Amino acid sequence: MNFKRDKKEEESGEASNPFGNLEKTTVLQEARAFNDSVINPRKCTMILSKVLYLLNQGEVFGTTEATETFFAITKLFQSKDPILRRMVYLGIKELSHIAEDVIIVTSSLTKDMTGKEDLYRGAAIRALCTITDASMLQALERYLKQAIVDKLPHVSSAALVRSYHLTSGSGELIKRWVSEVQEALNSDNVMVQYHALGVLYHIRKADRLAVTKLVSRLTKSHMKSPFAVSLLIRIAAKLVDEEEKPLDSPFFDFLESCLRHKSELVIFEAAHAIINLKNVTAREINPAVSVLQLFCSSPKPALRFAAVRTLNKVAISHPTSVTNCNVDLENLITDSNRSIATLAITTLLKTGAESSIDRLMKQIASFVSEISDEFKVVVVQAIKSLCLKFPRKHATLMSFLSALLRDEGGLDYKAAIADTIITIIEENPEAKETGLAHLSEFIEDCEHTVLAVRILNLLGKEGPKTKQPSKYIRYIYNRVILEQAPVRAAAVSALAQFAAHCPNLLPNILVLLMRCQMDSDDEVRDRATLYFQLLSSGDRALTNQFILNNLQQSVLALEKALGSYLQGPTDAPFDIKTVALASVTSDELKPTVATPGILKTKPAEPKKAPVKEVSFLDEVSNIPDLARLQLGGLFKTCTKQPLTESETEYVVTSTKHVFSQHLVLQFHVQNTLPDQLLENVKVQLDVPDGFRQVAVVAIPKLPYGTPANAYCVLAWPEDLEVASGATIGATLKFIVKDCDPDTGVPDSDEGYDDEYVLEDVDVNLSDHIFGVTRSNFAAAWEEITTEREETYALSNANTIPEAVKNIVDFLGLHPCDRSDRVPEGKSSHAVALAGVFRGGIEILARAKLVLSDGVNLQLTVRAQDELVAELITASVG
Amino acid sequence: MGIFDKLAGLLGLRRREVNVLVVGLDNSGKSTLLNHFKSEESKSSEIVPTIGFNVEKFQNKNVGFTAFDMSGQGRYRSLWEHYYRDCQGIIFVIDSSDKLRFVVAKDELDTLLQHPDIANRRIPVLFFANKMDVKEAMSAVKISAALGLDRISNKPWHICASNAITGEGLQEGVEWLTGQIWEYVDRRR
Ligand SMILES: Nc1nc2c(ncn2[C@@H]2O[C@H](COP(=O)(O)OP(=O)(O)O)[C@@H](O)[C@H]2O)c(=O)[nH]1
Ligand SMILES: [Mg+2]
Repeated sequence: MNFKRDKKEEESGEASNPFGNLEKTTVLQEARAFNDSVINPRKCTMILSKVLYLLNQGEVFGTTEATETFFAITKLFQSKDPILRRMVYLGIKELSHIAEDVIIVTSSLTKDMTGKEDLYRGAAIRALCTITDASMLQALERYLKQAIVDKLPHVSSAALVRSYHLTSGSGELIKRWVSEVQEALNSDNVMVQYHALGVLYHIRKADRLAVTKLVSRLTKSHMKSPFAVSLLIRIAAKLVDEEEKPLDSPFFDFLESCLRHKSELVIFEAAHAIINLKNVTAREINPAVSVLQLFCSSPKPALRFAAVRTLNKVAISHPTSVTNCNVDLENLITDSNRSIATLAITTLLKTGAESSIDRLMKQIASFVSEISDEFKVVVVQAIKSLCLKFPRKHATLMSFLSALLRDEGGLDYKAAIADTIITIIEENPEAKETGLAHLSEFIEDCEHTVLAVRILNLLGKEGPKTKQPSKYIRYIYNRVILEQAPVRAAAVSALAQFAAHCPNLLPNILVLLMRCQMDSDDEVRDRATLYFQLLSSGDRALTNQFILNNLQQSVLALEKALGSYLQGPTDAPFDIKTVALASVTSDELKPTVATPGILKTKPAEPKKAPVKEVSFLDEVSNIPDLARLQLGGLFKTCTKQPLTESETEYVVTSTKHVFSQHLVLQFHVQNTLPDQLLENVKVQLDVPDGFRQVAVVAIPKLPYGTPANAYCVLAWPEDLEVASGATIGATLKFIVKDCDPDTGVPDSDEGYDDEYVLEDVDVNLSDHIFGVTRSNFAAAWEEITTEREETYALSNANTIPEAVKNIVDFLGLHPCDRSDRVPEGKSSHAVALAGVFRGGIEILARAKLVLSDGVNLQLTVRAQDELVAELITASVG
Repeated sequence: MGIFDKLAGLLGLRRREVNVLVVGLDNSGKSTLLNHFKSEESKSSEIVPTIGFNVEKFQNKNVGFTAFDMSGQGRYRSLWEHYYRDCQGIIFVIDSSDKLRFVVAKDELDTLLQHPDIANRRIPVLFFANKMDVKEAMSAVKISAALGLDRISNKPWHICASNAITGEGLQEGVEWLTGQIWEYVDRRR
C-alpha cells in the first residue's frame, strides 16, 4: 500500500514539471508571440522560461534559430513589466554565444543600466558585459566605472564581478579601473567588499610585490566582510607558501590570528589554509585542528561536513594531530548525513587503532550502498592506507574490497578498488593468493578495458610465481575468447608469461597460442605468433630476454632513436644499447597514498624520465660546440646539485649527463644582481688526472633574472677506477658590466673580469650505473658467469634496513623482487640488485647482510665485463 | 493618464497601440527627435549615438506609439529588417544639410521599400527633412526629388521639414501619421 502511493507520487511528480515534455520547434513557434504589437507580459515570460529551460537542458539551437529568437526577444524591450524584463536579460545572456549580431541590444541595455529603475541595473550590467567585445568595451568604460562605485550594492557587485571576468580578455583596460575598485573595497557591503578584493587581486596578481603590499595593508585594516577576509586568507596563504621561511612570515601570524575571528567562515578558512600550507609541522597544525574539532559538534551540517572533510585530509599527513578528535569523530559515525558519516569513519580508519578496524568496517558496510561513488572512493583509499599500516588485517579488508568489486560502480571507483587490491598484493606476500583470486573473478565481468588490461598484466607477472599457476590459465584464456582486442592482446601476453615461467604448462599454452594466431586483430595475432615462435624454440635465453624481462629502454627515447635510424642511410644494424634506459622512478614502487583514478594516470613506463632524457639530447643538438662531439645516446642524467648557496649573487647548479665516452657538465647559472650584466660566463674546471677536457661552452650574455646554461665536456678516463671516484674543482669566470637596474642597459662598454669559486663537482660510482628491474632475477643470474665476491664489515650502518639503503644509494643498482624490504626483526637478509654499467654492460648483484655487532656484508657481483665486476667489489668498503 | 484617455475609456473607445520604426542614416537626428516627444521627466539631457536600438514610447491623440529608434551606423543598418514585419508605420529621418550622403540615404530607402516585409504593404511612411535650421539645409521639396519619393505609389507618404531640437515641424508630421494609422488599421479590420 505504502509502496503504491510512493509510486503514484513519483509519477505525478514528474507530470507536475510543466516543462517536462517540451519540444523545441513548438517553443520556437510560440516565441513568435514576442513580435506581437501588443505584448502580453505573463504569456511572454512563460514562453521565455521555456526557451531558457530548453537551453539549460542542453538543447542545441542552430545559429539561425538562435538569431531569430534573439531578435524576437529584443522586441520585448517595449514592455515595462519588470519580471519579463529580467527574463529578457537572461535570454540575452544565454543566447549571446549562439546568435549573431547580439550587439543590437547595446543601447537598450546601457539605458537600463544607467536608468532610474534600480531593479534593472545589476542585471543589465551582467547582460551588457556578456554581449560586449573588447572593441565595444571602451565606449562603455565610463558607465562601468561609475557602476563600480554605485551606492547600490547589487549594482556595484554586478559591475565588479563582470570586471573580474573581463580581465581575461581586456586586462589592460580593466587596470585603468583600479581607483574605482579601491573605492569599492571600502564599501560597507560584505559582498561588494569581497568582489572588489577579487578584482583587485586579479589585476595585481602577476606582480608579487604589489600583492604583498596589498595583503600587508589589508591584514592590518580589519575588513568587515567575512567573505573578503576569507579571500585574503587564501591570498596570504599563497604568499606564505612562496616564502623561504614560511613560519616567520607576518602573513602566517595573520592566518593564526584568524583562528580567533568571530565569523565561523573565516575561522574555517584560516584552519583550512594553515593545514594546507606546504611545510607545516604538527605544532602549527594543532591549533587549526582544535578549531575543526569544535566544529565537529556544531549543529550546522555544513560546518560539520567542512570540518570532517578537512580532518580527513590531515589524517594522511599528520595522523597524530587528528587522534585528539577521535571522540568527536566517533559521534559523527551515526550522523544522519551520510557524507559526514563516511568521512568520519574513513578518518577514524586512518588514525584509529588496529583493534577498531573490524567494528568500523561493519559500520561502513551497513550503508556503503547508499553513498555516492565519490565517497566510496574515499572509503577505498582509507582501506588502502589501512592495509599498509596493518598488514595483518588484510583478510578482513580484502573480503570487504571484493564485495565492493561485485557492486555497481563507475570506472574511477572500480579502478580505486582494483588498485588497492594490487597494492596489497605487492606489499604483502601473504595476501597475494587471495588477491589474485579476487581479481581473476573480477575480470570475468569487467566492463572497463583499461582495468582488465592492467589486471591481466599483473596476473602474468605474479600468477606464475604462485603455488598453483595453472588455475589462472582458464580465467586468462576466457578473455581471449570473450573480450575486445586490447584485452585479448593483454591476455596473450599473460599466457606467454606463464609458459615461460612454468615448463609444465608450456605444451598446453602453446596450443592456446596457436589458436590465438587465428585472431581477427593484428596486434593479438602478432603477439601470439611472436610468443609461439619464442616459446617453441626452447631457447631459455631468448624467452628470458623477450618474455620475462621487460623493455629497459625508455619508450620515448627508443621511438626517437628508431626514427633517426630510419632517416640515416646506413647498413649497420640498429644498436639498442645507444638508447637511453628508462629510469625506475622510486614513486612507482613506493606505497603511494592513492589518488582516485590512479590506474589511469600511472603509465606502464615511467613518464618523467624519458622526457628528460629526450629533451637533453634535443638541447645538445642545438648547441654546435656539443653537437660536433657526436656524443651518441645519453646513458644517464644525474640529479641536480647546487654549487652555491641559494641566496648568493650568482646561483649555480650543476647536472651531470653521462654518455658512453663523455661526461657533460651542465651549469645552470642565474645572475641575481639587477645592476650587473655578465658576459662570457664560463666554468673553469680543475680537470683531474686521467680526465681530458674536450669542450667548454660559455654564456655570451647573462642579464639579471634570465638564467642560462654553460657547459663543460670531459672525456672519461680509460681507468674505470679513476673514472668512478673523482672530485672536480670549479670556478665561475666572467666579465662584469655595471648597468641601469631598470633598463638593463650597461653604463659603458667597458667591463672587468671577475670570478666566483664554486663547490666541487663529485663523480661517483653510481654515476656510471643505471638501476633497472629484472622481473626474473634468478634466470638473469644464471646467464652471466663472470663473478666477483667480497666480504665487508660496514662501518656506517647499525641496522639492516639502514645498510640496505646505503648500498642501494652507493651502487646505484636497483633492488629487484622488492628485496629491499627487510622484514621486521630479522637478523639477516639478502638483497637482489640489477643495473647497467655505462656502455651497456649488465650488472647483477646479491648482497647478504648479517647483523652481528654492526652489519656484515657479503657482496657477489656478476657482470658481463670482469673489470666492472671488480670495480664494484673494490669500491665498497 | 491624460483627460482624453480617461474620457475615451469612459466612452468605451479603445486606445490604439502602434509600433513605428524610426530609421535613417546616423546623425540625422532620430534619437533627438524622439526625445522631444517624451514627457519632461523622462527626457534625456544628453543624446549619445545609438548602438543597436532603443525603444521609446509616446502618445499622440489616442494613439500610443512604441517607437523603435534604430541606429543609423553602417554596421547596424542591415539589422533594421528584423523589425520590419511587425511595424505599422515608418519614420524615415534625413539630415537636410548632409547633401553628400543623400545618395546613401536613397539607397537605404530603396532597400527598405523593396524588402519583402514592406514592399506589398500599404504602410504609411513619414519623412522628416530634419535639421532645417542649418544654413546649408535643402528644402523638403528638393529632398523629396533627390530621394525620388514620387515613385512611391502603393504607400501613403508625407514629408515635412523639421528641427528636432526645437520640435518645429514634428507635430505636423506625427499628426499626419496618426491619421494614416487610423485609416490603415480600420481598413485592415
Ligand atoms: N542643428 C540641428 N542639429 C540637430 C537636429 N537634430 C539633431 N541634431 C543634432 O544632430 C546630432 C545627432 O543626433 P542624433 O539624434 O543622435 O541622431 P541619430 O543618429 O539619428 O539618432 C546631435 O548632435 C543632435 O544634437 C536639428 O534639427 N538641428
Ligand atoms: Mg540615435
